[in-house]
Amino acid sequence: MYIPKVAVLFGFGINCDHETAAVFEMVGGKSTRVHLNSFITGLDDLSNYDILAVPGGFSFGDHLGSGRLMGNRMRFSLRDELSKFIQDGKPIIGICNGFQVLVKTGLLPGPDGNEPDFIQRASLTLNDSGRYEDRWVTLEFNQDSNCIWTKGMTRIDCPVRHGEGKYVMPDKESLTKLSNNNQITVRYIDPNNYTETNRDEVLPFPQSPNGSMMNIAGISDKTGLVFGLMPHPEAIYAQWLHPDFTRGAAPKTESEISWEGQGLQIFRNAVDYVKSIND
Amino acid sequence: MQITRVEATPKSGEGLRDVRGDVVRRRLKADHNLDFTKVRSIVGFLINSDIDATLISERADDLFADPIIEFSTTNQTFLQSNNIFDTIPDVVISVGFKPGVTDNPGKAALDGFRTIFPNASQDSDISTYITYAFYGVGDQATPDFIASKLYNNLIERAVISDNEMCNNGDWPMIEYPEKPPQEFKQPAHIDLEISDDELIEISETGLLALNLEEMKTIQSHYRDETIQSSRKEVGIVENQPTDVELECLAQTWSEHCKHKIFASKIHHKDLETGEESVVDSIFKTHIMKPTHDMQKEVDWLLSVFHDNSGVIAWDDEWSVCMKAETHNSPSALDPYGGAMTGIVGVNRDILGTGLGARPIANTDVFCFGPPDWQGDIPENLFHPSRVLRGVHSGVRVGGNESGIPTINGAIVFDERYLGKPLVYCGTVGLMPRKLPDGRESHIKTPSSGDVVYMVGGRVGYDGIHGATFSSLELTEESPSSAVQIGDPITQKKMLDMLLEARDAGLITCITDNGAGGLSSSIGEMAEYTNGCRIDLAKVPLKQPGLSPWEILVSESQERMTVAVKSEDSVAFESLARLHEVEATAVAEFTSTGMFHVQYDESTVAYLPIEFLHDGVPQLQLESEWSPPQHATFVPPTSIDHNSILMDMLARPNIASKETWVRQYDHEVIAQTAVKPFVGVERDGPADAGVIAPIHGNPRGLVISCGIAPRYSDIDAGAMAAAAIDEALRNAVCVGVDVNKIAGLDNFCWPDPIQSEKTPDGKFKLAQLVRANRELERICRAYRLPCVSGKDSMKNDYGKGANKISIPPTLLFSLFGDHPDVRNTATSDFKSPGDRIYLVGESLNELGASEVSFMLKENGTCDGIGGTVPNLDNPEKLFKSYSALSKAINSGLVKTAHDCSEGGVGVAVAEMCIGGRTGANIDLDGTGDESIWARLWGESLGRIIIAVSPENEKQFLDIMSGNITTYLGEVTESQLLTISDGYEEVISTNVQQMVDSWQGTLDMTGGEI
Repeated sequence: MYIPKVAVLFGFGINCDHETAAVFEMVGGKSTRVHLNSFITGLDDLSNYDILAVPGGFSFGDHLGSGRLMGNRMRFSLRDELSKFIQDGKPIIGICNGFQVLVKTGLLPGPDGNEPDFIQRASLTLNDSGRYEDRWVTLEFNQDSNCIWTKGMTRIDCPVRHGEGKYVMPDKESLTKLSNNNQITVRYIDPNNYTETNRDEVLPFPQSPNGSMMNIAGISDKTGLVFGLMPHPEAIYAQWLHPDFTRGAAPKTESEISWEGQGLQIFRNAVDYVKSIND
Repeated sequence: MQITRVEATPKSGEGLRDVRGDVVRRRLKADHNLDFTKVRSIVGFLINSDIDATLISERADDLFADPIIEFSTTNQTFLQSNNIFDTIPDVVISVGFKPGVTDNPGKAALDGFRTIFPNASQDSDISTYITYAFYGVGDQATPDFIASKLYNNLIERAVISDNEMCNNGDWPMIEYPEKPPQEFKQPAHIDLEISDDELIEISETGLLALNLEEMKTIQSHYRDETIQSSRKEVGIVENQPTDVELECLAQTWSEHCKHKIFASKIHHKDLETGEESVVDSIFKTHIMKPTHDMQKEVDWLLSVFHDNSGVIAWDDEWSVCMKAETHNSPSALDPYGGAMTGIVGVNRDILGTGLGARPIANTDVFCFGPPDWQGDIPENLFHPSRVLRGVHSGVRVGGNESGIPTINGAIVFDERYLGKPLVYCGTVGLMPRKLPDGRESHIKTPSSGDVVYMVGGRVGYDGIHGATFSSLELTEESPSSAVQIGDPITQKKMLDMLLEARDAGLITCITDNGAGGLSSSIGEMAEYTNGCRIDLAKVPLKQPGLSPWEILVSESQERMTVAVKSEDSVAFESLARLHEVEATAVAEFTSTGMFHVQYDESTVAYLPIEFLHDGVPQLQLESEWSPPQHATFVPPTSIDHNSILMDMLARPNIASKETWVRQYDHEVIAQTAVKPFVGVERDGPADAGVIAPIHGNPRGLVISCGIAPRYSDIDAGAMAAAAIDEALRNAVCVGVDVNKIAGLDNFCWPDPIQSEKTPDGKFKLAQLVRANRELERICRAYRLPCVSGKDSMKNDYGKGANKISIPPTLLFSLFGDHPDVRNTATSDFKSPGDRIYLVGESLNELGASEVSFMLKENGTCDGIGGTVPNLDNPEKLFKSYSALSKAINSGLVKTAHDCSEGGVGVAVAEMCIGGRTGANIDLDGTGDESIWARLWGESLGRIIIAVSPENEKQFLDIMSGNITTYLGEVTESQLLTISDGYEEVISTNVQQMVDSWQGTLDMTGGEI
């Protein structure tokens, strides 16, 4: 059986690389933590890998806007390699700071065409509260999305840990198109008051931790292979990480791993996808 | 080279906001009740480079501004632009850094600038500023007042335009902060053949913090003929120290580095009992000896006291270490920078343990003046709310950006912390027991000939004299060079790189550059091989012109000192390049017995290693104990306990700190099983942090702490005992394995040396003796070895009658093993029908209790005196803790909460808040006859638990032989009722308690 090779990027203040590498291994991938400069200097080659993960963290301290400087390094020094990776149909995930990086490089939401153009179309900016916060939110996945990462996912609890997670796309038309294309992959919801019709009305704090337009928590590109989100699904890889676990109320999963948490399926989806292509 | 100004400001429009400006608006509202209609912000960059302004302008939206949400402008200020700032503001304030102060956004911008302009000249630099435009100011405050709340003139500068200037279009323009040139000075020789008074004068004017005896010890060193002849051989002045040597000795011998008070010989008198005795080193007698005794009985105490942190074996594969430090003086002068360097500094202690451990969790404990303080503020210091904000934000940025979760902590308030806040930062580290090359990770393996690298940041003028400065009391003239701002990203890059170097087997020895800089770090490591030779000319500098002594003792941040075998140098350096970390060979280990420092070819310091480390004479001190006198706390006879409960819940020492704690990342690394807040709404207090750091494995670690400074008002011994007991109780509440626990003792004391400026020094030293005697007694009873610790002994502000001394404070941190994080308990009540028990008993110990302070402050009672909580029989309590922990970590008990400030009343209220459920409690038969003792008393050794009816019998079986009293039941209703037999004393609604508990310290400035 083919074992998908996962490059977990780190360096310059990325800090969720260890757990992101670990969760891919739990679902049958082979993770390598790769310093961004290894790809840039040619010490390693992005094409050696099947999946690219850009984990959370504080690359360059979020100075000049979260994800900006790391995004620029990738945009200006790794452009061809990234372009090829995407055109080869290989999955990419950006979590938290990784999502910010993918948005600032222009890989998300991405162009209408099939070739990445590295033009920024949206932004992730300071939470309306002005505060960095670590708190749990409920996420609802878009059932009509073609995103390979979120296949079969419906609703999970997850922590957010960011100060700049508000998704903005001031151009109304683009935002509507994003929605119509079903590229809004995952939204913050109030689990006690959610309907298909109210899902785009911006929720109050703290159900929406940041005031994101249309309650956007994560989006994917047109192909469904590039996916980014602010919340941390890797941080709910096990049920004991859920805040309700101590009350005996952590959501269970149907996995063979008895202790599996709700977030792991996202990583399994990508690993299974790569396996299905290569087997 | 030219300066180009680039500014960015948020666009407006539907769904877009100027959040930076709005944060300032809400903060001024929360802290100063200023109600401005709007605050707008501009971020500015001053680029000093050879790149043309036109080129920069063309790329501004690639770097300085986010084109989706921001406008940019080059070589002008937005305030001049009528379309973007269409209404004239009332006040505009621009804040930038002073020259030489760490500017992290500037550093990051420069990095990004080089990505876009790879050919920009090497000495390009970028400085940043931020401009706030205020609207709707009216006569609420003067521009100067507003500015004073926005910047700290020790490290920042502000340019202000008042209303008139704004109307005239006269906008504040901050200019590029040119660093003043530093003058390189050849080492001076200092003649010590002078009078005693002159010796002291040298020490005082040079901020050396050396006493006469120490100065004379140095004097006689240079009289020694063998010393003189060996000095002649290397061509250094024979019979006098150089300034490099004197500074080096001052740093190494400072109280901060050598802990001279804990090592002193104390003649102790107890006027209460008539005892007279001699304590020959508190540290060796009461801390080291007990731990070494325990080390003989267990196999898991791997490394204690001698390294940067204490190491225990967690299992066969992993070891765990922990260290806590304080950063009090810098945090008083610059709360943000001081606290940030505190947290990133203690992270480096972990990285510098053994051959390098990975920091996996932080703890923060702060002691501040009251946040709502109305009285005077000492000259040059800040209001406690400002200190709280600054310290919190420094620790938040330092911890979050380093990717280390903050999982446990506390904030304590008392007026006496106005003069000196206490900022304790702790870090837990994890390392594989064995490295891939087979070496045990907790043992350093340097040898003579190894190359010594300085890794990470560069050396600058900042941070000179930190160690000696913190060994003096704060005054109005305290120096600004002792304050620094940390740079967590530079450190994170270094950390990533060094852990890779460790696993590649490249490191033979590693330590942190903290107090004393290179003189301490290389000096301490040189003890292993008995010698080193340093070349200061090789040390990379932030700016040219630093003199040799400044390079040697500067405490510039983000630096580690690492020894590498010479054959591994190439691999080490290329790894550093990959990570963009600066690593420079600056020294080598020798076995000459000498601390040999050169600047290029010339020798500037030549000190015997032995003299440097063991030459400091032992202090001889006197202590004298007589119990302090207080008016006794006599509880009022008729009072409504309901209103006491509401007031107690709102006391800053008890109130929820959630808005602050939530701003720490407590879940990075995906390991935190018990988070700082628990319960239905995830807003109930957790007693301890529990993490499962090995992914996929539920084996856990428990981290907790205890602190009870106000008990020192009656007896510092009881204060110490209470801190240790609280730390263990908290850990027991989550089910720690009591057979594998280790502790850290961090003492913060007012100056305890009798002198003119400290007339009560003998008493303060007696407090220290009593605290340490109790520490030994309790730790032995709890089989709780202290594996690391620190002391900070000059926590006073000012002199004479206006002197403010902190209450003697011990922070006790604890870390321990947990067999399975799936079996823990938390403080929130779980299900109606659960049976509530009190483990332990309530005695009449209301002295220095929170309720006594409250009723004294509001004039209801005369004093706080009386019996302070004591631990008469810790062995008995340990038995009870062992049983309860077992009941919890075997999964029988799901609810447990420590009973501390505010006693049973507050503890039960918090359990209802966490569970959003009611409870019926009867305090009859829970201890002393006084309802005050049973309801509000703070007797130690008590934990409240709730157990499901089906597990109740098994729980009671496990607890048999230990005092366990039935209190009542969790109820479906939203009502907490507490009775004393037939008499109802409290009946209150859960939501009311939530409101009281959460209101006081919210301080967010209201609605978003």
